[in-house]
Parts: sequence; structure tokens; C-alpha cells
Amino acid sequence: MPFLFALGQRLLQLIPVLIGISVVSFLLVQLSPGDPIRLLLGDRATAEAVAQLREQYGFDRPLIVQYFSYVSNVLQGDLGRSIRYQLPVESLILDFLPPTLFLIGYVVAISVPTTVVLAIVSARCRDRWPDHLIRAAAILGMTIPVFWLALMMSRLFGVELGWFPVSGYGDGFVGHLHHLFLPAISTSTWLIPLLLRNLRAALINESESDYVTASRSKGLGEGYIFRRHVLVNSVLPTLNLLGVMIAFLIGSSVVVEIIYAVPGLGTLMVSAVLGRDYYVIQGLTLFYAIATVIVTLTIDILSAMIDPRVKL
Amino acid sequence: MIARPKARLLHVENLSIAFGSMPVVKNVSFALDEGEILGLVGESGSGKSITCRSLLGLLPRNASVGGKIGFEGRDLLGLSSEEMRTIRGRDISMVFQNPSSHLDPLMTLGGHVMEPLRHHFGQTSKEARQNAIDVLRSVQINEPERRVDAYPHELSGGMKQRGMIGSATASRPRLLLADEPTTALDVTVQARILELMRELNRSHGLSIVFVSHDLAVVAELCHRVVVMRHGEIVEEGPAREILRSPRHEYTKLLIDSQPSSLALPPIVRKHKAETPLIEVERLSITYSKPSVLPGIRKDAVCALQEASLTVEAGESLGIVGESGSGKSTIARAIMRLVEPSGGEIRFRGRNIATIRGAELAVYRRKVQMVFQNPFDSLNPRMRIVETIAEPMVRHGLATRAQALERARGLMRQVELPLELADRKPRQLSGGQCQRVGIARALALDPEVLIADEVTSALDVTIQAQILRLLQRLRSERHLTVIYISHDLSVVRKFCDRIAVFRAARLVELGSAEAVFERPQESYTRLLLESAPRFERTLELAGASDE
Repeated sequence: MPFLFALGQRLLQLIPVLIGISVVSFLLVQLSPGDPIRLLLGDRATAEAVAQLREQYGFDRPLIVQYFSYVSNVLQGDLGRSIRYQLPVESLILDFLPPTLFLIGYVVAISVPTTVVLAIVSARCRDRWPDHLIRAAAILGMTIPVFWLALMMSRLFGVELGWFPVSGYGDGFVGHLHHLFLPAISTSTWLIPLLLRNLRAALINESESDYVTASRSKGLGEGYIFRRHVLVNSVLPTLNLLGVMIAFLIGSSVVVEIIYAVPGLGTLMVSAVLGRDYYVIQGLTLFYAIATVIVTLTIDILSAMIDPRVKL
Repeated sequence: MIARPKARLLHVENLSIAFGSMPVVKNVSFALDEGEILGLVGESGSGKSITCRSLLGLLPRNASVGGKIGFEGRDLLGLSSEEMRTIRGRDISMVFQNPSSHLDPLMTLGGHVMEPLRHHFGQTSKEARQNAIDVLRSVQINEPERRVDAYPHELSGGMKQRGMIGSATASRPRLLLADEPTTALDVTVQARILELMRELNRSHGLSIVFVSHDLAVVAELCHRVVVMRHGEIVEEGPAREILRSPRHEYTKLLIDSQPSSLALPPIVRKHKAETPLIEVERLSITYSKPSVLPGIRKDAVCALQEASLTVEAGESLGIVGESGSGKSTIARAIMRLVEPSGGEIRFRGRNIATIRGAELAVYRRKVQMVFQNPFDSLNPRMRIVETIAEPMVRHGLATRAQALERARGLMRQVELPLELADRKPRQLSGGQCQRVGIARALALDPEVLIADEVTSALDVTIQAQILRLLQRLRSERHLTVIYISHDLSVVRKFCDRIAVFRAARLVELGSAEAVFERPQESYTRLLLESAPRFERTLELAGASDE
């Protein structure tokens, strides 16, 4: 019960955050240069037509009134209408969301086990050749630009060898796995080194801590000490980093999505920005912010479940 | 108290340990009988802890060990790491200094106790849990059925140390190695832990190697004592013989440096001023975490509750208490580092909370502080002479050149060799760093010096030197000293009056003699009884000889 209580408190704390997010996403359209009405009607619209539509959209009302009607719309799931697609923004986002979510899940499924295995090998063989090899590869992986790697891989494995499709999302689970393999690998190539270095440092740090010596003094085996004490104590910082990275990936899968022509949120965002599709940008901003909040909250809940000292 | 020696349990012969080419333990030989408690005494760098760890093979990889460690007819140094593992935690186990860092924060207390039981005896988790509860009860943990599921951060320091002793003794080892097990604990807790070890020794016949820097503790607990210095044994024998009539010069120095036997020069004080220098009146301090919603404060911690005391000019006031008693809080309040939530502090009759601007700078100059950790309180990148000169430059009292010149003068005053002027703190010993801290505090020519546990991180011989230095400075500069410490014997030696704090309250205030000889409060009596006292142990030992 104290857990649920703490969770309730945490959710209450989110209210000011959500208000902040809504203000920012609301002002985004208000403050951006250019007039959405003009965009909608085109440059040659008459002044009367503009004024009429302005009234229809409620742009002639005071800002604060507009804000509250925006919030009440959002609460009812109405994020406005895309100027370009002439579709409700919320259904647009829902259409473009699955590929991005699938891609992120794919990246996590590849990165996390690989990171854990490599970090353990690296930490246990500290300063011997496997460690040097893994660390050198990690630095390489971090320094290769994602767009370049993505282009090269799509060229080599997609075009030359023809092993993987170079665009699209595919059909069915297997089709998704096949189509998104290259994008997922390209993303994991920089994500794994990041997590790996973090986890390796934590493992080495924890394996030198006093409770490890104390465990040795009880005659426990090295393998047991590593699994039961060192590993559990090391995952927390990396888990937090993973949370930040996932939140980051939701908004920044743009590069790989564009290169591999995946119909995901990144693609939607770029086309919305280029087409000045304000309501889509506004809706996506809101969506990204809330997704980040949810991911952070999930990581905090996981941390509290692992570490009894962490309070929600 | 007198154990009947049965058989030889541990026999260490010509043990030598080196890290690379640096020898840390040289040709050490000693023995331990069954049921005996052996004290391994020495100051930092004497090799006592390394010797202790080598008995279990817990040294870092780069250590090379030579000699012989005989245990029940086997040479431990000749065993493979597999064989050694079956001995660790089963025949020989170990208790460490800092219970907080030596317990896994993510494992329950019961989990720690169950580990050796499951590992060495293959008990199921159900059996082990039941046994763990019994073990926790045997180390006198209240409500063991509940505590078995508690995490280390939910327990007090003493409870954690009991838990660690429990996990070390769960499999009924023959030998317990205790490496400074009470150093991180408060005196009343220390007294109970020592009593527990004595009890385990008496009822289970547990042999103990007790490593400590504290002669008084060793005198109370141990049957025999080995005195170490620079990796060598300087003296060995029955505890009370060595402590009563030491043969080696170093042992004599150790004994003479015990605060209780320390001879400090008397202080000539100018006649009493009319008003006290500092008056603390009904001072309360509350720390609170700001809540999410403004206006509502939660988790308020009361650090000090309505404490009233005065400090006379030129006197030395001792503030004594255990951790969390509020003793450092009152010092911080006098320094104006924390705002009182009630009451006031007056300096020469003036409420310090109302002092502003340039006057505040003057006040800050008059009240200076020396800190507990000599290394951490100095900027590691600054030369010693700059460290001492800095406050004078900061307060605009001197140009840089003048300040550096005066800093050298101050180094002479605190008996620091001038060759050290251009060194960095890391190149100095702990005692030297503490002298730098004192010189820096004196640089602003203060009237009041607040010394917060200044000697608790130092060896006892160095502590004696620092106390003599402070005493000399007191009489030369007519300093008023507020000396905060957990160590009663130091305070008794050094202070004119003593304030005893407990759980955020001032419980007793009086002259040093009155507080020590005729304590009014039961807590003060408990503190006094808990503190291991050298002479008392010897007296008791002497009495049992007759």
C-alpha cells in the first residue's frame, strides 16, 4: 500500500509538469511565424475569408480563452486537424506510431542483452585483451555517424547483397522484424557503446566495494558474488541511462526513419515541419513530452523495485 | 575473564607482506590459543589490518605474501583458493570496520546471515532463514523475526554491526577476525558490541583476533596484546602486563599519548569578563525538506531543541554527544551557517542574526572553525602556504605578499616545518594537514576557535601533539575554544566546562570535573560508563590479580 500511495503522489507531482507541457505546446503555434489561417487558405484568400475562418477557429478570442479551449480539446482527445493530410492529428499520430514503437522495442531487444554480455566480459577481463577489444569497438561504434552507417548498410546489405529491404515497414511480425533490422542495427550501434561504458564502469566500481570483500570473507564463490551482489548493484545507473535514451529515441528516430523510409513518427515530424503543418507539430510535441514523462516514471518505478533505498 | 588456554589455534610464523617492492609487514610471528582474544594494536600504517586480512587470504592481487600461517595443523598460505574458500566464513570469519559499506545495500540483513549457512552447509532457504533469526537473536537484535527482512539502510550503525557479527558467526567459526569493528560506532554502541564479543568468546569459546588503534578498547577486551609499528611487532604479551609496565619505547609513547594520561600545560586565564562572550538562548534548529506543494513542510528533522548555554572569554567549552545529538549543529549555528528556527545567539550581547554587511565579515573573522577531516578540508591543488594565506587575502587584510609572509609565521606557530610551505596537501600526513587547518583558522586572528572533532581522524600520538598545540595556542593567544568531540577522555583533558548533548537536547552542562565526577543525568553516566577507560581497566585488572 505505501507503494501505491507513493505512486499516487508521484502522479500528482506530474500535474504541474503536464500543465507546463500544455502551455509550451499551445504557445508553439501562437508564437511561430506565419499565420496558420493563411497557410490553410493560401496567399490569395480574401480578407473576409481569413476573418471568417479566424472566427471559426476561435483565433479572435483572448489568448487565455484559446488556451483553455485547447486544453479541453486535448483532454477530449482532440489535437486539431492536420492542414496537409486533412485528418485529425490524433489519428495521424496513431497511424505513424506503431513503426516507431516497434523500432524502439527492436533496438532495446538488441541493445540490452548485448550490452549486459559485453559489459560483463569487459569488466571480468579488465585490462586484458577481450576488454581492450570491446572498448575499442565501443569507441568505434560511438564515433561513426548514424546517417553514414545507415546509408552504407542500406547500400551494402540492401542494394548490393539484397538481404534486407531498404524501405518500408513490412507486413506481420516477421515482416516488421525483417524490414526494421537495418534501422535497428544502425541505432544500436551507437546505443550499445553508450550503455556498455556506463555498465562496465559501474561493474568495476562495485566489484571493488567493501561488501564484495565481506562476501569473500564468508567463503562465497566469485561467480555467486558477481551475480548476486555486483551485478544487481550495477544495473541501476545503466537502467536510468537507458530510460533517458529511450525517451530520446522516441523523438530522434528521425535519421534512420528517413534513410530507411520507415513510416514512423520521425517521418511524420519532418514532413510536418517542412509543410508547416502546425497542428501536427503541436500534437507531436505534446505526445513526445508525455511519452518522456511516462518512460521516466516507468524507470523510476523499476528503480524503486530494485533498490529499497529509492523512494518514488 | 581469564581463559584457560586449551590448544594452539593459530600460529603465524615469519609473515611478510609486500606490495610490489614495498614491504608492509616484516617477519611477523604470533600465536593464538583456543578461546583467547588477541589484540593487534598499532597506528595507521603499522600493518595491523593487512596482517589480519592476510589470515583469510583477502589481500589485493598485487600483494606478495611469505612465511607461514598455521591453522589447525594446515598452512593457510599453501592452500589453493578453492580450499581457502571452504575455510572462509566456516572456520575463520571476519568483521569489518564500517558496517554500512560492508553490507550489500540491496540485500536484507537476513540474506547476509543466510549466505554462509546456505553456502557452507547447503541449507534450504527455509532452514537458513530460521537459523538466521536465531543468529540475530544471539547477537542481541531485538525483534529478529522482523529485522531479518530489514535492509541495511533501515538499521542503525550498531544494529548493522551486530548483523555483520551475526553473519560472520552464523556458521560457528573457530576464529573471528575483527578489524576495528567498533571504530565507526558511538561509545554507548561500542560498549554493547564489545560486550557481545566477550559474550561470544565466553559462551561459544570463540577465539578472536581484535585489530584496533584504540589501546583503551584493547585493554578492556583482550587477553593478550601484540603491538605493531611500521610492519613489525614491537612488543607482545599478556594485556595487563604490557599496558601496566611496557618495555618498549613505542608502547610507552602510545600509553602516554592516551588522552587520560596526557599531561597538558596549565592555562593562565585572565580574570573573568563581566558578560559571557557567547550566549546561546533557547536555540532550536529544524531542518526540513521542501515539499512539492509550497507552504507545506514535511519530514522536518529537529536538530536542536531549546538549547541554552554560555561561553566565557578564554575558556574551553567541550561539546560532547553521539552522532545525531546536535553537537555539530550548534557549532554551525554559532558560525551562522544555519538559521535558527527559534531562540537566539548573542556575541558580546549582540544577536548575531541581526549582524549584516561589513560587520558580518568582522564577526566571521572572529569565529573560525577547524574541521574533522584534515585532507578533505584543504584544497588539494593549493600549496600549503597559499592555503593559510588565502583567508587574509579574501578578507582584504593584507596584500598577497604580506599574507604569504604572515602565513609562514603562522606555520612556525603551529610547528610546521617551513620546507612544507610549497607542498600540496596530499604530500602531508594527517597530523600536518590538521596543523594547516589550524593555521588557516588562526590567520584571521579569531577570538573563538571551533574545533569539530579535529583529532578523531588522527592517530593517538598525533592527537596528543595536536592537543598540546591547541593548549599552547590557547594560552598564547587567549583563544576561546569550543571543542566538539565524541571522545570523553579528550574533552575531559582539554576542556574547562562540558556540555553533554543527546538527541537534539542539551542534557547536562557543568565544569569538567563536576560532569565527570558527579554526573547528574543518567545519560551522562551511561556515556561515562560506556567509554573504555584505560586506567579503570588496569585498576580492575590489578584487582583481579590479587
